[in-house]
Amino acid sequence: MSLTSLSAFEVARKVKAGELKAVDVAEAALAQIRAVDGLPGSLDGGAVSADEEKKVHAFIQVTEKMALEQAEKVDQAVARGEDAGLLAGVPISIKDIFCVEGTTTTAASRMLSNFRPPYTATPVRRLIDQGALILGKVNLDEFTFGSSNESSAYQPATNNPWNTDHVPGGSSGGSAASVAAEEVALSLGTDTGGSIRQPAAFCGVVGLKPTYGRVSRLGLIAFSSSLDCPGPLSRNTRDAALMLQAMAGVDPKDSTSSTRAVDDYLSTLGQDVKGLRIGLSPDYDAVYYPNFETGELHKEAIQKEVHETLYRSAELLAKAGAEIVENVPMPNTAYGIPAYFVISRVEAASNLHRFDGVKYGYRTESAVSNLSELYRLTRAEGFGPQVKLRILMGMYLSAAGHDADYYTHAQKVRALIRQDFVRAFEPDGDHRLDALLTPTTATTSFKRKAVFGNSLLMQYSDQMTVSSNHAGVPALTIPAGLDEAGLPIGIQLIGNDFREDLILRIGHAFEQVSRDEAWRKVRPQVLAGEVKA
Amino acid sequence: MKDYEVVIGLETHIQLNTRTKIFCSCKADSWEDEANTNICPVCSGLPGTLPVLNAEAVQKGALLAAAMHAEVNPLSRFDRKNYFYPDLPKGYQITQFDEPIGKGGYLDLKMADGTKKRVRIHKLHLEEDAGKTKIEHGTRLVDFNRCGVPLIEMVTEPDLRSGEEAAQYLIQLRQLLRWIGVSEADMERGHLRCDANVSIRERGSQVLNTKTEIKNVNSIDSVRQAIGEEAKRQIELVESGGKVESYTLDWDADRNKLSLMRSKETEADYRYFRDPDLLPVKLSREEIAGIMAALPELPLERQARFVTEYGLSEYDADILTNERSLSDYYEAAVGAYTGEPKAVANWMMNDLSRMLNDLGKTADQLVLGPKALAEIIQMIDDGKINAATGKSLLKKVEESGSRPAEIVEKEGLGLIADSDALRAQIEAVLADAPDEVANFKAGKESLLGWFVGQVMRRTGGKADPKRTRELLLEMLRK
Amino acid sequence: MSLQHITPELFEKLVGLAALELTEEERAYLFEEMNHQLASVESLRQIQIPEGTTPSLYGLHPEGISPRADEWKAFTKPKQIVALAPESEDGMIAVPDVKGAK
Repeated sequence: MSLTSLSAFEVARKVKAGELKAVDVAEAALAQIRAVDGLPGSLDGGAVSADEEKKVHAFIQVTEKMALEQAEKVDQAVARGEDAGLLAGVPISIKDIFCVEGTTTTAASRMLSNFRPPYTATPVRRLIDQGALILGKVNLDEFTFGSSNESSAYQPATNNPWNTDHVPGGSSGGSAASVAAEEVALSLGTDTGGSIRQPAAFCGVVGLKPTYGRVSRLGLIAFSSSLDCPGPLSRNTRDAALMLQAMAGVDPKDSTSSTRAVDDYLSTLGQDVKGLRIGLSPDYDAVYYPNFETGELHKEAIQKEVHETLYRSAELLAKAGAEIVENVPMPNTAYGIPAYFVISRVEAASNLHRFDGVKYGYRTESAVSNLSELYRLTRAEGFGPQVKLRILMGMYLSAAGHDADYYTHAQKVRALIRQDFVRAFEPDGDHRLDALLTPTTATTSFKRKAVFGNSLLMQYSDQMTVSSNHAGVPALTIPAGLDEAGLPIGIQLIGNDFREDLILRIGHAFEQVSRDEAWRKVRPQVLAGEVKA
Repeated sequence: MKDYEVVIGLETHIQLNTRTKIFCSCKADSWEDEANTNICPVCSGLPGTLPVLNAEAVQKGALLAAAMHAEVNPLSRFDRKNYFYPDLPKGYQITQFDEPIGKGGYLDLKMADGTKKRVRIHKLHLEEDAGKTKIEHGTRLVDFNRCGVPLIEMVTEPDLRSGEEAAQYLIQLRQLLRWIGVSEADMERGHLRCDANVSIRERGSQVLNTKTEIKNVNSIDSVRQAIGEEAKRQIELVESGGKVESYTLDWDADRNKLSLMRSKETEADYRYFRDPDLLPVKLSREEIAGIMAALPELPLERQARFVTEYGLSEYDADILTNERSLSDYYEAAVGAYTGEPKAVANWMMNDLSRMLNDLGKTADQLVLGPKALAEIIQMIDDGKINAATGKSLLKKVEESGSRPAEIVEKEGLGLIADSDALRAQIEAVLADAPDEVANFKAGKESLLGWFVGQVMRRTGGKADPKRTRELLLEMLRK
Repeated sequence: MSLQHITPELFEKLVGLAALELTEEERAYLFEEMNHQLASVESLRQIQIPEGTTPSLYGLHPEGISPRADEWKAFTKPKQIVALAPESEDGMIAVPDVKGAK
């Protein structure tokens, strides 16, 4: 097995045992990036050659020097007989929405194309403290606003390693693709409405949105502060557990970070799932779109293969001893997206106020005669259209003078969505679930340009994931098969508050029972030709 | 001309004297610091940073709310007020909108004619201060040092009726802030800033007419003058058939002039909403009880008690309760003194207050403590020293830190009350003045005063005058 | 049902509030997309919200940290913050005046 195919768990074990040098791991990751990634995304990056079209383009910035220095430190620590950390020598990519001192932190926007933060985000700091090697910053939708990566100001945007004509999903598309293409073992992403899980599903990797507050948001450039969650992307559940272990826990610099003790995710991971109650809900069998002429919702069934994979996965889990509970009502699922439109846009518009050309980042190069012009031109030139759309929508929804207060109304809907989960998980309720099993996405990855521009359709690709953000509960996506086109299908396990341990354990059990399935032998397109051991 | 009255509401911003800023660990006070040296990623609004609330700002805010007789909110919340301005690095100010730390309340003003006037408080909330900007050759320069300094914004109901009343409100609010120790309330340093809402109406009317807002009335004099000017302008305007418009005006304290800042039609839409980065501020019943318990006796209460308990005049009690430390000093001195409390008051209002002025100190900063003052007065009462020595002792104690009795002893400042010593001095005086002795003995007893004076001269004023008189009579009548 | 619609006048007001400036192409695109999104948002009106439902800010109730102690910890690199500004003068961040240069 090549070095880059190793799991994070294995890398850390071997590095700590002295069987492997962290520097060699870093070099192997850098070589893999050179081999599969192609041109890094850049501002004004235009059309690319046919050859480049076949590349992954996950990275905006490769931090070779930083990774090698960190690797040296790990190797020295091991040589001195010190504990080199949970993630000793593990190559990691960071979604370029996290501030990391010593890097440019762009948010994939022209607005921050020159921004060098003088501090490092808490989750990144904790990864480094546990011996991780930061290989670079990976692409995303501009300011995380999208579900395909196409809205990045840094082009070429990331492609799906399984089929480079397709999108990797988003907004953590660069994260998911870099893990799938074995450029890194782990990636740090963010999930506001599905931004870790949707790209993880599209790219055939594991993605975990932790409970709100489980991982500090300090250093994450905010999209929607009441929904944003940093979390891991990995190639298996053990690695996700390992990475969460390294990052989770209270942060005195984030008031909303939870003071609750962090579970030992690794020690319970291998336990079986006998007797665990796993629910299926008919409310996740379809997507509900509004007709924008009439406003009425109409129902569209999810992709057939996704549906089949979900039910087949449930059978596999039943075989492993879990109890499948059908027909769990989650009646407010259909309102997840409209409520998200309100809450996320209102918060985003406010969070983006600070980008005004005064203190940092881009400032218009045109001659301006007054302050207001400086603001308007800077923001007009610095933000892409999807960002402007979110700002304007947020302005509309929070402006004074409506009959209804949209934001408060949406927060009440949010309370109802939360109630669906509370009922499903209630220990003495009708369903008493340990986890809810759903599709992660209604469809597999779509082609580039197929959806981009239609902001409504793009947003609705988060319908299966957004409810857990509203409710604050943890949710895990794991690969569960391929569709007829050979594109990955993900299934989602949603748990009760702070029960990351349970959903990881169920995910791990699923990996065990599906170990020998044929789809697990198939490799992403960009890795074809490489032989999997 | 009709009879008009002026209707005024004041909006004050009070800088709390916490050690650090409200949402980050930079120090709150930057008075001595160069621009942009007391800043961090949080208060300068860098992307990805988050606010963490300073517990002391909540405590001081709640204490002020309690002192204003406001209801201390057990669950207050922070909101974002969104607008663009270069001194506001996040593009929004973190403030409290509909669930502030204090609701309602009032401040009772004592007026010059001895009456009391109640000014109701509309609301009182915590917020962060913005930075400072200045213009230099057409460029605006921004300093973030002040960003994130904790403020209480306090808004009165339109209960004030003249510039003088508004000035009194500020004077007495300033006294209260210092009294309870939540703010230095130094207006020159911007610890207490004020905007005034002014309208006029016919006396007797209850309507609230269109008001103008005057910004930056940041001294007591400015408040008096700016409101006076604006009331005059509005009356003249209305009398000449015009209509008051909802302007925002700026007070230029250097030129004593009002100028138009903007008309209200362009007022921004702040799009307030809850700040998701901060959790609600909870104060338990016990915590609120603790804050109420920590609330000291307030100036007006203490003034009234001084009148009844110590028999002081209203005037004296007023002066002595101007500052909390002065009144604490007074009470401690009275406690250590066996004579009339009024005597201590006299000393404090004259000699001690002169000394405080000269030294630029407050009473609690004196080396000369209240016990030392009581001891000095007591020594005069007991005839151990004379009044002049007592006065000179004030300075000596302050400078040396020694006890008054020690200084008297060491410097020989005590009165000569010892009979033998005095007798010797008197004999010498009598020996030098045979004619006067003869005259006295012949019946001119009015010479006694002259003899006392001679003894005093001989002893450098240290002879106990009472004892001297007794001995003189005894020796002359022998 | 009658749908809320963002009028062109309101749209222009929002552009001003957002401190943006748009090209004609952007204007047409954003105007149309906003009205489509609004149709989705309006579907929230169909929900019967039970009496007494309180707005939820986070879904769960975060067991977050208590307010911090009033202890001074200076940030050691304030110059780096000023250095991020596109323009500065004597340690101050520089922008054009509100009213503009004469």
